[in-house]
Amino acid sequence: MKRRWNWRLSQWEMMLAILTLAAGVWSAQLSPYYLNLDQIADSTRQFIFPGLLALGLMIVVVLGEIDISLASTLAVGSVLFSKFSACHVQVWFAFPIVIVVCGFLGALNGVLVAGLRLPSLAVTLGTMGAYRGLAFIIGSEKGYTDFDDSYLWVGSERVLGDIMPVSFILFVIVSLVVGFIMHFTVFGRRCFAVGHNKDAAWFSGIKVQTLKIQAYALAGALAALAALVWVGQYGSARGDNADGAILFVVTAVVLGGVDINGGKGTVLGVVLALFLLGTIRNGMGLANIAGPTQTVVLGGLLIIGVLLPVLSAVASHIRHFLPRRATPK
Amino acid sequence: MSVLAEKTTPAVAVPRRSFSEFALRLRVSGVLAFLFITGLIFSLLTPQFLTVQNASAIASNAAILSIVAAAQAIVLLTRNVDVSVGSMMGLTAYLTADYAARHPNVGAELVLLALVIGLVLGTINGLLVAYGRVSSLIATLATMSLYRGFTYMYAHGQEVTSNKLPRWMLHSVDLRFWGIPMLVVICILVVTLVATFLRHYPIGRRIYAVGSNPLASVFYGLRIQRVVLLAYGLGGLLCGFAGLLYAARVGTVTVILASGWEMSSLAAAVIGGVSVTGGSGTVIGAALGALVLATIDNGLVLLGIPEFWRMFIQGSSIVAAAAVDVFIGVRIRKALQGQRFARRAA
Repeated sequence: MKRRWNWRLSQWEMMLAILTLAAGVWSAQLSPYYLNLDQIADSTRQFIFPGLLALGLMIVVVLGEIDISLASTLAVGSVLFSKFSACHVQVWFAFPIVIVVCGFLGALNGVLVAGLRLPSLAVTLGTMGAYRGLAFIIGSEKGYTDFDDSYLWVGSERVLGDIMPVSFILFVIVSLVVGFIMHFTVFGRRCFAVGHNKDAAWFSGIKVQTLKIQAYALAGALAALAALVWVGQYGSARGDNADGAILFVVTAVVLGGVDINGGKGTVLGVVLALFLLGTIRNGMGLANIAGPTQTVVLGGLLIIGVLLPVLSAVASHIRHFLPRRATPK
Repeated sequence: MSVLAEKTTPAVAVPRRSFSEFALRLRVSGVLAFLFITGLIFSLLTPQFLTVQNASAIASNAAILSIVAAAQAIVLLTRNVDVSVGSMMGLTAYLTADYAARHPNVGAELVLLALVIGLVLGTINGLLVAYGRVSSLIATLATMSLYRGFTYMYAHGQEVTSNKLPRWMLHSVDLRFWGIPMLVVICILVVTLVATFLRHYPIGRRIYAVGSNPLASVFYGLRIQRVVLLAYGLGGLLCGFAGLLYAARVGTVTVILASGWEMSSLAAAVIGGVSVTGGSGTVIGAALGALVLATIDNGLVLLGIPEFWRMFIQGSSIVAAAAVDVFIGVRIRKALQGQRFARRAA
């Protein structure tokens, strides 16, 4: 039984990888500028900051909860970075503070969800507005663009022969770390256990509330990391940073095969889904497809992603009624 | 809250039903009290607040939001959520305004058109959630971007300006009935109609039943998928109507019309005592929640407080209202258990 489940999972990820390749080929057909190492390396930047958010969201979703306030947490982080930069504080000093603050904002979500047992959708919807308001309150309505160069390094520079963006390396490292945490540590196993059956997990002695608060805090901290990448990429910080990015993030998590009801999913799947979405976006951008159309495609992909289990169930239902072939021995 | 706890102790003699009704009434009267307190604070802080003119402005601002909040409430009652309300309004508003601009002599069939478009959009949501078994947040998040994207694609960067719209459409929302704005009259009519439907018609009661206990409703023989579909369809219908009203009110219809309303409508519904976990709350409460939001907005503008504070307050109030709801829910459950034990002991 277990082996079959593993096989199915790898099937899903194989499909994502194949789709990514297909999207790459399709993009190469659409535009002659696609097959260029420089271009491809550059295009990865588009999904690094949503990717970091998606890794955080994945942990929360595995627990069976949701956090749609992450993009707003990112805005708080980027505005905080701008404040530190304005005070001429070095980035290595500012970074831990921002991580802690964003982690605290995440933990606050966690306390409201797990401690007070409020529905996570209502809580994070509320904090989505509240944190964005907070970002504006901290940073005022004016944007900040005079970042110190040390702040921009992670998001804008390239290393290894001027090809590999630093942000991409950061993303790879973070996804490896999150993958390790989720699949090879006690914390990760407990997350899956709670997401699969909360009551059974509680009976077996897992502190569900603490676990949830930790997961939310982790997601918040990752949003701070994403904020650093954002600051480097765009060189500006304002309260409306990453407004509306949550659609891309949720799409990546769902398309990556993470069950929205919790208990199922892999980090590899999420990363592959990010690559797929990034490739599609990049290809559409090169082919001069307008932003709104891209949004429609994204929304359509999200629906297809969540409808796939239903469609396959319908297909197997139909197959059930078809005349059966003799089973090979 | 301790007052409530004390009252539950002698509740043994009172039938269970009236107790939960009492709690619900308490929740709605809590909203009214909150409205009163905010009104009092604002009227003390600024003299411009407590004028007839300002009151009618607040009511007009709350009117359209209260219809959308009612739509949101219907969906919330079935344990689902609809974050595509703003996009449904936007798409309906643009399509109807564009139709009206192309056919200058269009009459009341424009309203019918808006209702049909809204119904179709809402039904798509409902089909995805009820029959596609997609999580309601994911499904409507997707359709939110889909509907908004379609609006952009249809509009091609254009907008419908007010001089292209028929005169009657723009004038009808500015009419007044004994000094009450037409918009407010329409909203009161619509909300009362929906409230009556939910309270007194079997289909309306089924919406509550499905939300409060889906499993029990299946055992009872309700086809919950149909009920959820109906709730979404009804929500879409109301959103379409609200979109038309909004288009008539602002005059110039742009592609970003009513974006961000999913947040306001949810805030209004939750503040008004509609439970996010389904099955509890009233449409009238949601409409009152819209009035609360409009009052806070208006007061903040009069006090000259920056617009982003509104976001902060709106977000925090959603969390606070949800917390209050869960708190009351726990109290009710405990009280009911107490009753049961008392009855068994007797």
